[in-house]
Amino acid sequence: MGGLQLFGLVVLGGLVGLDGTSVGQFMVSRPLIAGALAGWIVGDPATGIAMGAVLELFLLVSFPTGGSRFPEGSTATVVAVGTASAVGGPGALPLGVALGLAWGHLGGSTVTALRKANTRAAAAPGRPMGPGRVGRALTRGIGMDFARAVLLTAAGLTVGTGLLSSPARAWPLSDDRSLALLIVGGFVSAGISLHGLGGARARGLWFLTGAAMGVAAMRIL
Amino acid sequence: MGATFLRSFLVQGAWNYHTMLGTGFAFALLPGLRRLYRQDPDALEAAIRRHTEHFNAHPYLTGVALGAALRLEQEGADEGTVRRFKTAVRGPLGSLGDRLVWASWLPAVALASLVIYWLGAGWAWSSAFFLVVYNAGHLALRVWGLRAGWSAGREVAGRLRAAGLGELAERLGPVGAVLSGLLCGVLGAGPLADAGDGGLWVALASAGFVLGLAAGHRAWRAAAVGTVVAVAAVVVVSSLPGGAG
Repeated sequence: MGGLQLFGLVVLGGLVGLDGTSVGQFMVSRPLIAGALAGWIVGDPATGIAMGAVLELFLLVSFPTGGSRFPEGSTATVVAVGTASAVGGPGALPLGVALGLAWGHLGGSTVTALRKANTRAAAAPGRPMGPGRVGRALTRGIGMDFARAVLLTAAGLTVGTGLLSSPARAWPLSDDRSLALLIVGGFVSAGISLHGLGGARARGLWFLTGAAMGVAAMRIL
Repeated sequence: MGATFLRSFLVQGAWNYHTMLGTGFAFALLPGLRRLYRQDPDALEAAIRRHTEHFNAHPYLTGVALGAALRLEQEGADEGTVRRFKTAVRGPLGSLGDRLVWASWLPAVALASLVIYWLGAGWAWSSAFFLVVYNAGHLALRVWGLRAGWSAGREVAGRLRAAGLGELAERLGPVGAVLSGLLCGVLGAGPLADAGDGGLWVALASAGFVLGLAAGHRAWRAAAVGTVVAVAAVVVVSSLPGGAG
């Protein structure tokens, strides 16, 4: 991976990290989109979206609701795609996704830490809020979030490329089996999704109708 | 209102456990407050102080409260009325937004995008579909919310009920279930079947699905950790002398 690509990935990590909560929430931060963008930066958007799609399957049920703690899929996907691109080999996809899942948890912890830092700033005694102080407080919060996401992405890429090169080359499973291994875990999220929509009793018939349509579509295409 | 609309995209910029959206809420209101209190700096400072206080709502529906709060300020409502209004709307705007956007709209569009991707559409079509469709709903909700709040003021609760957003979330439930089934069908008949091994992967995925269906969100961490452990186990086994590698 070239220096320009590394720089691009780190900046992308900062931007999608912002989109997750602080700025806009256009959902450019979802793994599917972050994966395609990261793949585009490293010159392989198809692999990027393949990793993003697997991570999106896992994170289907993870949303930035209120004050809850959630895995951060945005920076995790950039780290996963960047690492997979750098290490190459047959294990790039499964090891990249596994690193992304672990890094998502770490990312969630850093979001909580940032919110605590914002809390200390908001609760600090001082002059009453004037127009300038409101703007500065917001700029400070957004700036810290960007710095957090940039550092998290850079650290993830450093750890990933340092640790996973050798295992990625020695990975023994075929591409098909590697993808199947990951999708098995992702199916838990599909079950959780149906649980959240009312469960099998309320939505089972709708789900089975969709499943039959999906199988038929794959047979036809 | 244009400046408030643009600033509403930053409403969570200083999210914290003390005032939650308070700082972002006041920042979004600033252009309107400046116009209202341009002759009275003390009144402006007092208005900013009351709007930096604790407030929380779904970010896409915060515009409802922003528009209505600005209307109340314009009508000269007293401080207590503004506070009571914001306290009354923050819960409904949070839970309604969570149900409509996080629990219904986002999963539905994400599921549809994944189906499109695994049916063979390229990366550009899959990601463009997600971004365009999702943000059409997202931006429509933000524009509608700010307009509804501004035009209805303290009567905005009635406007929210009349819009039927809760019913819309309900109607998206079956759509989400069909899309979830569609995705499972596509993956089961596609990548999982292609991996072979006599249906082993389909059986494992079905077991994972049932686990998620039965346990709900409690199963998520187990799935993520289990996947990481399985990948690590393959690495370890393949590195042993005489391993799979």
